[in-house]
Amino acid sequence: MRIDFTQAVHQALAEDPASLFITGDLGYNALENLAATYGTRFLNAGVAEQNMIGVAAGIALAGHRPWVYSIAPFAVFRCLEQIRNDVCLHQLPVRLVGNGGGYTYGIMGSTHHALEDLGVLKGLPNMELFFPGTNDQVAAAVRLMRELAGPSYLRLAISGFAASNAPLSENPRTLTRHYARGTQVTVIGVGHAVQIALTALNLHGLAEAGADVFGVARFPFDLESDQALLESVRRTRSVLVLDEHYLAGSIAESLKHALPTVDRFESITASYQPTQRFGTPAFMLRQAGLTPEAVKAAALRLGAR
Amino acid sequence: MTLKMPSLNEFRRDALRIRKRFLRMHFEAYAGHIGTGLSDIDLLTYLYKAHLRSPGTPGGDVFILSKGHGASSLYATLNHFGLLSDENLATYYKEGTLLPAHPAPRAWDTIPAATGSLGHGLSIGAGIAFAHRVLKPSSQRVVCLLSDGDCNEGSVWEAAMFAAHHRLGNLTVVVDANGLQGFGKTTEVLNVEPLPRKWDTFGFDTIEIDGHDFEAIRDALTMTISPDRPRCIVARTIKGKGVSFMENRLEWHYKPMEREHYTQVLAELDEAERNL
Repeated sequence: MRIDFTQAVHQALAEDPASLFITGDLGYNALENLAATYGTRFLNAGVAEQNMIGVAAGIALAGHRPWVYSIAPFAVFRCLEQIRNDVCLHQLPVRLVGNGGGYTYGIMGSTHHALEDLGVLKGLPNMELFFPGTNDQVAAAVRLMRELAGPSYLRLAISGFAASNAPLSENPRTLTRHYARGTQVTVIGVGHAVQIALTALNLHGLAEAGADVFGVARFPFDLESDQALLESVRRTRSVLVLDEHYLAGSIAESLKHALPTVDRFESITASYQPTQRFGTPAFMLRQAGLTPEAVKAAALRLGAR
Repeated sequence: MTLKMPSLNEFRRDALRIRKRFLRMHFEAYAGHIGTGLSDIDLLTYLYKAHLRSPGTPGGDVFILSKGHGASSLYATLNHFGLLSDENLATYYKEGTLLPAHPAPRAWDTIPAATGSLGHGLSIGAGIAFAHRVLKPSSQRVVCLLSDGDCNEGSVWEAAMFAAHHRLGNLTVVVDANGLQGFGKTTEVLNVEPLPRKWDTFGFDTIEIDGHDFEAIRDALTMTISPDRPRCIVARTIKGKGVSFMENRLEWHYKPMEREHYTQVLAELDEAERNL
């Protein structure tokens, strides 16, 4: 997603002279072209995330629209109070970008995983969250963020179970995608976790479970405009949500509250295990139980009448 | 060149009136955070009377109060200089007000940043200064008022590095160094001294002054400095300045005034006014 993002933000910077790009000293082998093209509109704020967000807020108060980039854990946690106070309370058009959501940085270790980012940000006033499901959704997320007068966060990730099926339909505002039709159970992938469901469809026969498969990519929800998803949930009355995020504060949790009441609701999410080991994103997902096989098994169980 | 005496007296008279207004606000509201306001009122008086150009207007200089707990002295100062109406000031601390103990976000053009958690103001100020110096160069200047307790926060020093690195000569930091913080003397809680050497080492043109001496404040704000270096004024102040029983007393960071306190306050300030 990083390549798709740099291309999209390149265009955003070209088209909006009041925008600029700030990085927290990250972007080697990815952002050099932006730096060379945009001169003073490309700012490396150094390894100082609290100041980076405060500076971005000040720059926005002066009438500019900054994109602020780091890896997801560094872009959110160290500077959370600056995001809350300086950006969100002031309703400023600061666009945060966290690369490496979920287990993307697998072997880099726990400090580099971002499994609470959406949870801590979604309660902040005026904050809008974008978590594209696949690479081809990133540009649309960037375009939507450009339209916002207030703060937003973009979660970029690489899935351990990579898949990118053509959707049956997509809501251009919510970015909710419908991937496969089924009558027994509604399977919803949050952000790039939808790729686990797509892998289950492609390689593990998830269709046998009668799975109606969706991907969601934006919060707060606008479920009224996602009629296909609402109708699916009303019809199947069984929901399975996949979320590469700890359960507490997850989008899965928010979906449970926001969707119509159903007979069966389950989620498969990341979890912290004191004995956990480290490896590729796929290894981390397997360890957490976020696998295509687990998705199919749960879908079969939830869809059985 | 020294400041002429009538002008000096004018500053003193303004500051005394702001102190009176400030103390009346706190008495009527039964509100604490008195000591910190009294320590910075002389600095605010000079800034708003003689230094800041058209603050709160598009194209004007920008003032950021990083020590958000000093909001009430800023409110009183803005009111004194016609930048906040009597009607609005009368809502201070009342139900439904836009003048709470720490500044509200997006409420007033003259108060661009809602501060209150320490260590935020300088980054915001540096961002504004960066915008006006690098992104869209203009003559707008930024002044940021910190407390010495503020300087406990690591983010202040991140911001200081940033300001010096980007040569923000349009940024002035004023540290209201009254030597007392939340739960004790600054030197005993988490020693930030020597403040002047720290700011100097971080790349600021730094001067240490008596923060209640208008001539010194004037000289510090008008001294010739490098256009490519931010400026820091370490203003040595007295917490509770101007009220004998509050000066250098930690409890007046928190305590509201009772009637007998306020009676004595009025007597002391009336006496000070007669002696001007």
